[in-house]
Amino acid sequence: MSALFKPSANTGFRIGIFAIALLLGGGLIAGPMIYVRTPFFTQQQDPIDQPVQFDHRHHVGDEGIDCRYCHYLVEKTQWAGVPPTSLCLNCHEQIWNKSPKLAPVRESYFADRPIVWNKVNKLPHFVYFNHSIHVKQGVGCVTCHGRIDEMPQVEKAQSLYMGWCLDCHRQPERFLRPREEITSMTWKPAGDQLQLGRTLKEQYHVQTRTSCTTCHR
Amino acid sequence: MPPLKLPIVDAAADGRPWRSLSERAQKPEPSRELSEQAPLETSRRGLLQMLGASAAFATLSGCLKQPAEKILPYTKQPPEVTPGIPSHYASASTLDGYATGILVTSNEGRPTKIDGNPEHPSARGAIGVLEQASLLSLYDPQRAKVFRYQNEPRSLHDFLAAAVANGRALESKQGQGLHFLMEPGSSPLVARLRERILERYPKAKFSSWSAIPLQQIHDGSALAFGSPYETRVDLSKASVVCSLDADLLSALPGTIAPMRQWSDKRVPKGEGADENQMARLYAVEANLTVTGMNADHRLRVKPSHIARFGLALLGRLAKQVPALSQYAPLAQKHELDATQARFADALAKDLVKAGRGALVAVGPRQPPALHAVAHAINSALHSDCASLSKPVLHDLDAGPRALRLLTEQMRAGAVDTLVITAWNPVYGAPFDLNFGKALSQVKTSIYRSLYEDETSVRAGWMLPALHPLEAWGDARAHDGTTTFVQPLINPLYGGMTEVEVLAAFLGEGDRSTYAMLRELWQSKSPKNFDLTWEKWLADGFIQGTATKPEQPQVKHDAVLAAANKLQFADAGFEINIIPDYRIWDGRFANNAWLQELPDPVTKTTWENHARISPTFAAKLGLDNGDLVDLSLRGPSARAPVVIEPGHADDCVTVTLGYGRNGPGEELARGLGFDTSTLRHTDDPWIAGELAVVPTRLSSPIAQTQEHHSMEGRLIAVSTQLKSLQATNAMLEEHRGTPLTYHSPVKYPGHRWGMSIDLSRCTGCNSCMIACQSENNIPVVGKDGVIRSREMHWLRVDRYFLGSETDPGVVFQPLMCVQCESAPCEYVCPVNATVHSDEGLNEMVYNRCVGTRYCSNNCPYKVRRFNFFNYTGNFSETEKMVFNPDVTVRARGVMEKCTYCVQRIERARIRTRVQGREMRDGDIATACQQACPADAIVFGDLNDEDSKVSRRNREERRYDLLHELGTRPRTGYLARVMNPNPELA
Repeated sequence: MSALFKPSANTGFRIGIFAIALLLGGGLIAGPMIYVRTPFFTQQQDPIDQPVQFDHRHHVGDEGIDCRYCHYLVEKTQWAGVPPTSLCLNCHEQIWNKSPKLAPVRESYFADRPIVWNKVNKLPHFVYFNHSIHVKQGVGCVTCHGRIDEMPQVEKAQSLYMGWCLDCHRQPERFLRPREEITSMTWKPAGDQLQLGRTLKEQYHVQTRTSCTTCHR
Repeated sequence: MPPLKLPIVDAAADGRPWRSLSERAQKPEPSRELSEQAPLETSRRGLLQMLGASAAFATLSGCLKQPAEKILPYTKQPPEVTPGIPSHYASASTLDGYATGILVTSNEGRPTKIDGNPEHPSARGAIGVLEQASLLSLYDPQRAKVFRYQNEPRSLHDFLAAAVANGRALESKQGQGLHFLMEPGSSPLVARLRERILERYPKAKFSSWSAIPLQQIHDGSALAFGSPYETRVDLSKASVVCSLDADLLSALPGTIAPMRQWSDKRVPKGEGADENQMARLYAVEANLTVTGMNADHRLRVKPSHIARFGLALLGRLAKQVPALSQYAPLAQKHELDATQARFADALAKDLVKAGRGALVAVGPRQPPALHAVAHAINSALHSDCASLSKPVLHDLDAGPRALRLLTEQMRAGAVDTLVITAWNPVYGAPFDLNFGKALSQVKTSIYRSLYEDETSVRAGWMLPALHPLEAWGDARAHDGTTTFVQPLINPLYGGMTEVEVLAAFLGEGDRSTYAMLRELWQSKSPKNFDLTWEKWLADGFIQGTATKPEQPQVKHDAVLAAANKLQFADAGFEINIIPDYRIWDGRFANNAWLQELPDPVTKTTWENHARISPTFAAKLGLDNGDLVDLSLRGPSARAPVVIEPGHADDCVTVTLGYGRNGPGEELARGLGFDTSTLRHTDDPWIAGELAVVPTRLSSPIAQTQEHHSMEGRLIAVSTQLKSLQATNAMLEEHRGTPLTYHSPVKYPGHRWGMSIDLSRCTGCNSCMIACQSENNIPVVGKDGVIRSREMHWLRVDRYFLGSETDPGVVFQPLMCVQCESAPCEYVCPVNATVHSDEGLNEMVYNRCVGTRYCSNNCPYKVRRFNFFNYTGNFSETEKMVFNPDVTVRARGVMEKCTYCVQRIERARIRTRVQGREMRDGDIATACQQACPADAIVFGDLNDEDSKVSRRNREERRYDLLHELGTRPRTGYLARVMNPNPELA
């Protein structure tokens, strides 16, 4: 009786085992690496429910209210600043002051209880990001937060991974814009972004750093 | 390796530095870290299984999504708060009646740091350990939280109703039997309320109590001048200072201002130094104090003989100063032995030579006659360093004498209502008074305190006190400047201020302290009050309210009579009771930062000890940690022995504040031993006929002394003024760029560096608490310290030079020196410690896996490891103390000094948003900001004009362990002593 497998089958078997091991091993390593980069894991493009149905599309897009009107700390401190309830009532004392959608806002104001918003852009606690310096040096809101004026419910636009931060810290000229266009949602460079970026980098003395303590203390 | 040239020219033949007696005897102590037995009884296989499993699970933790978080904005934005930018408020911290101006940092309404108020005329921004650490007490979850009557919970309203009813009954008998036992105070508001209470209850009585009374100072000046005065020490004009048990340089109440003046007098030349000759310090004392450790000449004498030395000194001065001639017989009457006589002769000569620059300072524990003698000397020499002014305290007699009178009345039933706002008299009162028992006999007793303690269990009413950061108030500073206390936070648990307790007896218990304070000051300055008030509160004090110096005449006859009355019998072994450098009289006993702070002298933590001299220890056959029973006309106290080089023989020094057993203070309970059984009213500080009985038992001592030993290398350089040039030349090879085949790294931007001047440093530890508070450094407890696991990023090393009996001492604050070629970085397997583009040696907590290789490879031993999750079980209240700019580290992570990188980055962003470059002075590290002696300077080494560059160019500069080629960024300046050639 001849052998069921020819000697060459050994080689085939070895190659097969090797291939399976490679696939499994590669999958074990590459799989999680791919997984943590999916929007599913980073919670990107995932509209977050809020206690008040606040529509940025309407406020930013239709009314053209500047971001800094509500996010009033953005030029001064590390936080952009979620507006105090009293700020909402600056307008809504007069307009839509009976709207049922604004009931939680009125309740918060008169009961002196804060509105509990859900955080959209979360950074780990060992990251000390500062808004004021980025805004000062010409990083636009839209660069990190996306087209807020097109979001009915705000969602995370970027992964906020360290690698993503470093993309800009290593080559800020790719993203810089003139200071006066900081809050613009639609600004596009007239010419070449890189050339403009280099000019602005020079002009604003942008000195991005990649040392660890720049962000981790 | 060839022996290193040690430029320690100060010492005698065997002058190598040593840190403990066992090190000196070259008897290596067994390592506490590695015992012979393996700590874990786990098999090799089990260990590998655990390792594998933990690695697998650690990977899985990366698969979790970020948890949801909430944002809670204000409903109405308070105009004074900008979230994210801390605000600073001027306030005051009061201790023993005097205020220290402080500047409190508030992050969105929670105080997170206490610094000195740089505008305050008394201390000019310098601050000590007690004031800084009081921040931690604010958030102490063990604070008293409820009002109690007979140990049953009550409300504030109940107390006010009871006080009104009680007041009405007392009013009918004109306040007969109403007695207030107050904290020593200088508050104008309290003074006003006292007047009003006396109007309503004319027969009411007030007295003050403190376990650390200043009464002998006042008695002494009353003796010398006919009425009491306080001495304001000004060391900026000093050239020869003689301290008779006066701890002038310890950053404790009253000594903070002199410290900065003194440090400027101890720098031979260069920046900040006087062109004049360096000042010289003589110290005469029994136990080693911070001042004694900084003295050019120190004489150790038995505690009771310090006064005797003072009289002999006066006798010697009498021969040289005509104004003192009548004291000449004192020299013959008090004969000194050869060493002491030589010391006294040289000192007398030096004092006369210094003339207006001479100062004789006497400690508060010394008899009044010695204070009077010092006044006589200072006035005869026309000293510019001691000005006299009227005391600002309400009750000058705040010691055992006043308490004895009160206790006698209590026993006789003459006290009907006793209101106690003084801190814990049952614990602090001398043993023979038996105050606790007398208190139980009082019909109505009311006690106000931050903690439920020994007194609260015996008092009828227990009222929780407000922490000074929660309360309004006013007080006078050490120079008399009126200073305001303002709250930073709403009371966490409710409670009362001293003012509100007094007001309750006026039927105004429902009025706030703020209303009363404002009303008082409005009545004093009615014109344009609103603006004035705002300015006062913003400044924290009223400009120009320091007490005016006066020139009273010394009554030499009275001084001589008192001096002649002093008797010095040799009464066997002596007890020498001193305040604790860390917990003072015990009121800070529940403060973990202070408990873990090493004593500047013995470097012990978490308890008190019986400190004795090496000779005395040999005589009794005692070693470190042996337990002895101490007794003095009463029950005995069991104390562990600590052998203190430089201590006087035949006497035992113990510190106050330990051996607590109050129900509230869980942290402090059971630590150390109670010294009040050794205290008696006739002399609460120093007494003879002490019985010392060895017990053959011993207990481990939580000491940071032997840890991190640098094995006999050139570390802290100390030299003398006369050999300064030789030392500078010798130091030449201990600084600068070492030879290397690597091409040097360029730092084109900022190049951060630090300079520490050992000539200025007094070893007061103020920087350690500042660092702990700024950088969220945990405490590890007594067991942790015994295992060498303390977490302080900044430590103050203390080295002894010379003989065991009369050692010289040199201090060295040491934190990470930020090596340019850092040995820790080469060995980290996960790149958790790396170099920044500005030369900082960075620690990345999230990369660290805790191999501890870096710590092993660090030649300076400044890295600290989190063996446990020390802050893991913190309550929400305790977490409020954290600085939000600094990560709170978890278990298994290495940490170390970062040069306060959070302050650098904050300053960088602030200045860049303002559109300018950082300048010298924009950044101060926490240790630099707190240092009362200006010893620590931080800045940019690339800036030729920065203060740190200027200091680093000084000739005394050297690099620590320069021969290793680590190129540290912190430079040290050698300490210079200025001994008297006659005594050399």
